[in-house]
Amino acid sequence: MSNLAFLLTQLVNALSQAALLFFLGVGLTLIFGIMRIVNFAHGTLYMLGAFLGYSLLHHTGSFWAALLVAPVIVGLLGTLFELTILRQLYRRDAHAFLMVTFGLALITGEAVRLIWGSDALQVPPPPQLAGVVFMLDEPFPVYRLFLAGAGIVVALAIWQLLERTRLGLLIRATSQNPEMVHALGVDVNLVRSGVFGIGCGLAALGGVLAAPLVTAAHGMAATAVIDAFVIVIIGGMGSFLGSLIGALLVALVQVFGNYYLPDFALAFMYLLMLLVLVVRPGGLLGKEA
Amino acid sequence: MRLSLLLGLTGLGLMIAAPLGLPPFAMTLLTELVILGLFAMSLDLMVGYTRLVSFGHAAAYGLGAYASGYLLLNTQTPLPFVVILAALLTGVIALGVGWVCTQATGVSFSMLTLAFAQLLYAIAFKWTSVTGGSDGLAGIPRRPGPLGLTALTTKAGFYYFALGCLVIAFLFCKVLVSSPFGAVLRGIRENEAKTLALGYNTRLYKIAVVAISYALGGLAGALYAPFAGFANTELLFWLFSGQVLIMVIVGGSGTLIGPILGAAFFMMLEHQLSSYTEAWALFFGLVFIAFVLFAPEGIWGLISRWGRRGAVAEVKGGQHG
Repeated sequence: MSNLAFLLTQLVNALSQAALLFFLGVGLTLIFGIMRIVNFAHGTLYMLGAFLGYSLLHHTGSFWAALLVAPVIVGLLGTLFELTILRQLYRRDAHAFLMVTFGLALITGEAVRLIWGSDALQVPPPPQLAGVVFMLDEPFPVYRLFLAGAGIVVALAIWQLLERTRLGLLIRATSQNPEMVHALGVDVNLVRSGVFGIGCGLAALGGVLAAPLVTAAHGMAATAVIDAFVIVIIGGMGSFLGSLIGALLVALVQVFGNYYLPDFALAFMYLLMLLVLVVRPGGLLGKEA
Repeated sequence: MRLSLLLGLTGLGLMIAAPLGLPPFAMTLLTELVILGLFAMSLDLMVGYTRLVSFGHAAAYGLGAYASGYLLLNTQTPLPFVVILAALLTGVIALGVGWVCTQATGVSFSMLTLAFAQLLYAIAFKWTSVTGGSDGLAGIPRRPGPLGLTALTTKAGFYYFALGCLVIAFLFCKVLVSSPFGAVLRGIRENEAKTLALGYNTRLYKIAVVAISYALGGLAGALYAPFAGFANTELLFWLFSGQVLIMVIVGGSGTLIGPILGAAFFMMLEHQLSSYTEAWALFFGLVFIAFVLFAPEGIWGLISRWGRRGAVAEVKGGQHG
């Protein structure tokens, strides 16, 4: 394998990994930006997405249907959780959110185990994306290429949503100053419900997309929530661009770390995070904490 | 205050008498409870008194457990010395952790502590020659001594040893939080900027409380390794950090005794629920959410509120009569 081909395949590999991480991180950061809460349940919602994807794929026979419907279901569940539980807690301190979302993580994790059992479930990629392509004469899975593309598309879509739409305007305004937005006659609670739902839905989208690579498994929840935290901390809590940069950096460290020094790959990610935080305690693009 | 003293002494009396009446299996649970209670209480110094919400307290437990496991397996050091050494080592490492983590405040602080714990988790996984990797350290003995003392190696003896550690640590914390040092910690909790303006170097105080809290958490871990006979990466995992934080909050943070009750509640709930249903974690989650919504001051808060209401009723009754 030529050096160039190696570099290219590893880079595209990292890009596809970054896409999955970005789906996790961006939801977490949007939620934090608006609601100042750390959603501990993010990883389990990602896992729930993967398992829902499995069932939808089996009932409808279409991966694409699963890809569309699973995030919507999880998003609605998230909104329901915001309406019933989180809404009562905005006047309380961060402890309260930490506990209820940890509780939600436990409940969701156990519910998944009850519904789908304890075994990992295989989710095949759609037939159109099952093969390999040749990049500089090196074979590369089409599915990973598709993931990288999906990541770029979703990132652009969220960016446009935030910058160009009224909802995006409200989201940005609420993260800056919720009282002022409220005073201007906007139902801030509605924005919060919406953003929490969108964030949860994005996590589920990542879960469905990850399932063909890693199978739908219970272990994915813990890894996902930690990865999501790391990304958001590196990028800066509440920053959209930060979550994108964080996802890319973490993916690069994971992919190249796994190749060159597999024993230390896990530690590298945390070292990167510590390094960033020591230099900029609020994260790369975050406000100074 | 009087009520809490009464309850505390009654509880302690029951704990001391426990080995006389309980079957061995219950003793095992009780010993674990004492160790977990010590662990939760150590976190309360940070969370409850200084509002330093650590997401990574499992780091302290795991460090203590691995250190004591390693020393017991590879040296002839007697158990009590091992436990003290492991706690001190954890405290010294925590000086570094505290120095880095207190660069940040609020959520960033929580995340940094989490990062440290996860870094240790990653190291424990890979540093196989010392930590045993994914298998962990197994067959950790309770070395007798010093002076050929073997009492600590028995089931009841080890229980009293752990209980002794808990009582001493509790009294130490009680003195600490009532001292001028504790007053500064509460100042940091309520308003750090003001405390800083009063001339206290709050950063140093925070590093100190992180070190003390980790050392006590390390003590709990150091007891756990010879109690269970093993130390594995689970002890460093973030889930455990989340659980101990919940013990503190469910029990009632900023009370020292509350987190111990929280640990007991957590263990009993897990034990009871897991004997009824396989889906115990589901009910567990529901109980936590219910606590946050309906009893934010925690178990100890409920008890003291109930106690105060009793006292008020007595006074009122006295006035009428």
